[in-house]
This record gives sequence, C-alpha cells and structure tokens, in this order.
Amino acid sequence: MDEAQKTAEFMARIENGEKIEANDWMPEEYRNLLIKQIHMHGVSEIMGAYPEKEWVPKAPSIRRKLALNAKVQDEIGHGQMLLRLAEDLSRPYGRGREALMEDLLNGHVKFHNVFHMPAPTWADAGVIGFLVDGGAIITQAALLESSYAPYARMLKRIVAEESFHMQYGESVVLALAEGTTRQREMLQGAIDRWWEPMMFFFGPRQMGQSAEKMMHYRIRTKTNEELRQKFINRYVPRLQALGMRVPDPLVKKDPVTGEWGYTEPDWVRDTEMVRNNSGPQSQARLHLRRQAHSEQRWVREAVMHATALATV
Amino acid sequence: MESQDVPHWIALLQPIADDEWIIAHRGSEWLGLAPDLEEDLAFSSINQDKMGHAQYYYALLEELGEKTPEDMVYGRSKEQWRHAVVLETAHGDWARLVALRYFYEVFDALRLERLSTASWQPLQDGVRKIRREEAYHLQHFTTWFEMLATGTEESRHRLREAIADLWPLLGGLFLWGPSEHFLTAIGLDSLRGSELQRSWETHVAEKMRSMDLPWPGALSSPVLDGRLGEHSPDMHDLLQVMTEVRRSEPAAHW
Amino acid sequence: MALNAAEYRVYEVFVQRDASQFHVNVGSLRAVNSEMALQMARETFFRREEPCEVWVVPQDCIVASPRDSAYLPVHTMDKQYRLPAGYDNAPRWKRFKAKAMTIEEVAEEMATHKQGGA
Ligand SMILES: [Fe+2]
Ligand SMILES: [Fe+2]
Repeated sequence: MDEAQKTAEFMARIENGEKIEANDWMPEEYRNLLIKQIHMHGVSEIMGAYPEKEWVPKAPSIRRKLALNAKVQDEIGHGQMLLRLAEDLSRPYGRGREALMEDLLNGHVKFHNVFHMPAPTWADAGVIGFLVDGGAIITQAALLESSYAPYARMLKRIVAEESFHMQYGESVVLALAEGTTRQREMLQGAIDRWWEPMMFFFGPRQMGQSAEKMMHYRIRTKTNEELRQKFINRYVPRLQALGMRVPDPLVKKDPVTGEWGYTEPDWVRDTEMVRNNSGPQSQARLHLRRQAHSEQRWVREAVMHATALATV
Repeated sequence: MESQDVPHWIALLQPIADDEWIIAHRGSEWLGLAPDLEEDLAFSSINQDKMGHAQYYYALLEELGEKTPEDMVYGRSKEQWRHAVVLETAHGDWARLVALRYFYEVFDALRLERLSTASWQPLQDGVRKIRREEAYHLQHFTTWFEMLATGTEESRHRLREAIADLWPLLGGLFLWGPSEHFLTAIGLDSLRGSELQRSWETHVAEKMRSMDLPWPGALSSPVLDGRLGEHSPDMHDLLQVMTEVRRSEPAAHW
Repeated sequence: MALNAAEYRVYEVFVQRDASQFHVNVGSLRAVNSEMALQMARETFFRREEPCEVWVVPQDCIVASPRDSAYLPVHTMDKQYRLPAGYDNAPRWKRFKAKAMTIEEVAEEMATHKQGGA
C-alpha cells in the first residue's frame, strides 16, 4: 500500500470516529501535530506549577498548605503523564524525556501565556486555581473526544483530578470574597490581573493553520472561540455573584445572539511574549526548571551508574 | 490519663510534632525542583504525609490543653519551637537532602517503633497509622542514599560533603529538652536519647560500612539545642515566610 | 535497553484494584530501575486510591499484536450458538408456566453476603 492509500484509509478511520493508538500507522503530519499539541500541553502543566509553588510555603492555614501542595503536585503529575505520551510519539525521531525537556529550556516549545505572568499575592494563587484551572478544564474537557486514544484516556484521568483543583480554587476565592475589605480588594486585584491573560489563553478567533489541521484530524473538535465563550458564560455570572468586577466594559451578553462581547487582548504583544519567553516571569520560571533539570543532571547520571539496585 | 502526666505527654509530643512539621515545610520548598518529574511526585507525597503526621500530633497536644494546631503552626515565636535545628536549615543540593532525609527517617522509624507501646490509646492508634506511611519514606530515602553512594565520583563526593555538613547537627535529634525524667513517668524509657542514639548509630554505621562510606566519628551535642527553643537565623527566615500571608490580616479567615 | 542509553528506562504500570479484578494498564513512567519504578508508580498513579497490587513492566518487554492482524480474533460468521443471547428459552419456559433462569440470578442466590430466610 502506498503512502496516499494509507493516508486515505487513516482519514476514513478518523471520519468514522475511530480512535488511533500509539503504535498504529499514522501520517507524519498527524504525528507531528500530536507531538506539538501534547508537548506544549505537558510543559505548560509543568511551568504552571511554579506560580502556585511560590505560595506553598506561605499558605495561610494547614489545610490550604496541604491542598496547595497536592494541587501543585497534580500539575507536575499531569506534565509527567503528557510528556510520557509525547515521548512515545517522538520515538521514531529518537527523542525522549531529556530532549523534550531541553526543548522547553531552549525555547523550542512554548508554554501557555498565563504561566508567564506574576502571581504577587495569595489571591493570585487562588484566582489561578479558579480562572486558569477553570479555563484549562474547559479546553481539556473539549479534548476528551480527541482522535488520539492515549491522549483521550490520559485526559480523562487529568480531568478527574482537575475537579479537585476546581473545588480548591473556588474555596480560596470564596474565602476571600467572604472576608475582610482588604481580602476582597486583594481578590479584585488578582481578577484584574488575570482576566486579560485568560482571554488570550483560548487563542485567536481566527485559528492558525496548525489549529485548523488539528480540527481536520479531530485531535481537537472545538474552536477557540467556542471555548472562550463557554468560559465567559460560566465565570462572568459567578464573579458578579461574588460582587466582583469583571475588568472589561465590553463583557456583555448579546441578547439576540447570546454571544459574549469582550475586549480583544493584545494578540501581537502576548504572542511575542510566549514566542520569546519575554513575559514578566518567563525567565525566572525557566530558571527554576533549569535548576531542577540541567543543574541536577549529575543526579540522574549518578543513579544510572549506581551499582546498588541496578536492574538486571 | 492522670492529670500529673499531662505535662509529660506534652514534653514528649511537641518535639515530635515540630520535627515533622518543619522537615515537611522545608521539603515542600522542593516542589517542582526534584531531579526528575517522577521524584517530584514521590517526594511531594512524603512531605504531605509528614504534614499530616504533624497535624495529628498537634491535635493530640490540643487535647492536652495546648493551642490549636493552627496556632501552634502560625502563632508561635522562634523560641517556642522544639524541633531539632538540623531540620530547619535552608536546603542545599540533592545529596544533602537525601542524606538528611535518610538520617532522619532512620531516627524517626526508631522513635515510632518505641512510641508504638505508649500507654495513651489515641497516640498508639495514630502511631500505628503513621508507621505505615513512614515505612515508605524510609524505603525511598534508603534507596536514594544507596544509589548516590554507589553512583558516580561526583555523587559520592557530594554525599560525603553533605554528611560532613550535617554530622555536627545530628546530635540535636536525640535530645529531649531540659530533662528526660518525663519519659520514665510515662513508661517510655526506651525513648531516652542515649538509647535512640545507640540504635541509630548501629543502623547507620552498618549502612555506611556497606556503602564504603567513612564513619565521621561520634555525634557531638549541637551548639544550638532546638529542644530548648534555641534556633538558627534560618528558622527566623522560615517563620517570616510561613506566616507572611497570615500576618497580613491576622483576624481573617483564609 | 532503552532507546537512549542516557535516559531512565520506561516502565508500563499495571494496577490490580482489588483481588476480584485483573491488572489493568494505567500509564507509564520513567525510572532508573525496577525498585524505583515501583516506588514511583505509587505516587505517580495512586495518590488517591489504595490498589491491591502494582506491576511495573519495562515497556520494551511488551510484545503487542498489530492492531489489524491475524493475532486478533474477528467473529464475522454466525457464532450465536455459543452466546447466551443465541437461545430463546424464556418464552418457551413461559409456555410451561415456569420462569427462565439467568446466571446472574443464580450467582446472586449463591452470594454469601445475601441475607438468608424469607
Ligand atoms: Fe493540570
Ligand atoms: Fe489543574
């Protein structure tokens, strides 16, 4: 069977709603799109650990400290599971964990815009759990129908853990909203900081070429705008119920179309920031990852040489 | 429990609770910084377990009339903490972490073994559950200790440096404050510092011999005795960070 | 050995949730040896459950059938005779004014947890 025939059969399977497995034959383009998507998703989970990690030592109660520990740990766990998938897909290119991690440190793979931003107060840590995890849950739930079965299976597991993140984030935000004037101000400040990044998070209305191709292969099935609308629709009423201000005067529901309006984020500036790792916290957080990965290569080397417990 | 025994049980539990809390707090600073992702997950769980253990001991202390667990953690000055100073020190490299954790886990396992015979039932019940989690902690850091000891030139070198750095502070683990008489009063003589230390030295010396690591000599009594509330500047910094949010609005709920 | 000698090995993780169930694959991880793989599997996959047994298997030890292959059975021809649904005893029992049996009902009756008596 030649390449064109194989591709045609593959597309027929996809259109039939069949799921693809890691060892199935797949067009090079499909493999590369998957690697791009899952690699970016995985490193974003890992980089997403850092803004909240800063607040673990400062968490203001025993329960919050335990919960935030567990939540940040889960995010690293999501990164681990997703990188494993990307590693398996990258096998034909001879690339494994080390290579995929190096890509992050060298700027060859991007991570989500939100994790380039500072989290200067405890409320920011809560709003990350509330809005950023909220947004991530929407995008991840939309991927549960992905044509790539290992991704869909893993996302099921991830989404189950996210339901804890959602409860945790809401709990922190509710405590602040029920709290003192200063706590409410702190919360409003954090919402003001995170709203615009969240609009960017879902990507432009006009999707890029690779996003279109991912729709074609049913790696993803919903448009950026559909997801953003679901997010606004879910979170605006809740913020308003808490007496919090949505920091965008254009956020209104069109009574006819039911569509939410919003101010376009600065697409050019933020795209540059993600591409160049030039956001306010991009370098500091990459530095932490470098500390973990590159500066501790000696540890991984040592254990691979260890004679104690060497695997037969 | 006889009312005259209450101060004895407090003298017993406070150092243990504080040891567990402080080592877990320092451990949690490693989130996202372990040498590989899988280890990040394993190590974080260990720290969460230990925070849970501390919380359990603090709840028992509250039953004995001490402050609430929250106030024990967030409402004490440096001088009121009773953990060993070695546990509060700011972290160094992974070899130091592994050495510290291995030494502590051996110590804690011995302490828990003896604690499991305590006559106070709630403590005995808690210790039974805690020991099941601690078995994993000891296993995990024993594995790490062995792997670094038998790894490369560099890992052996770093491990030896770490041991040399920690050794002068380790004696502080085996102290019990101004007097050990309370142990006799509550029937736990087996927890005496000298007893614990002898068992610990036997265990650790055997491991170091099998890993071909030189024995650095007898443990000395530390310059600062955390069991008496003496702490280093690192503890000052730790408390500043730990209570930062809480202090910003002391009356608030979070 | 692994594809890249400078990396930890990949282990597939299988869990048996309780003694009545088979081991199922839940994902994979990297570990330097099987001892560490077991230790890591615990916190990578079971932070919120208490499994009864865990297996770790080097990924390169698994031999998988091709998805579309002679190794995989296909039942294209009528095999109704060996399926419970291939039998129409229920209406026939009815004609004899007796009730058809199902295996579930028998199993349920045999279950020890069930209270006896009327
Ligand atoms: Fe996540
Ligand atoms: Fe999350």
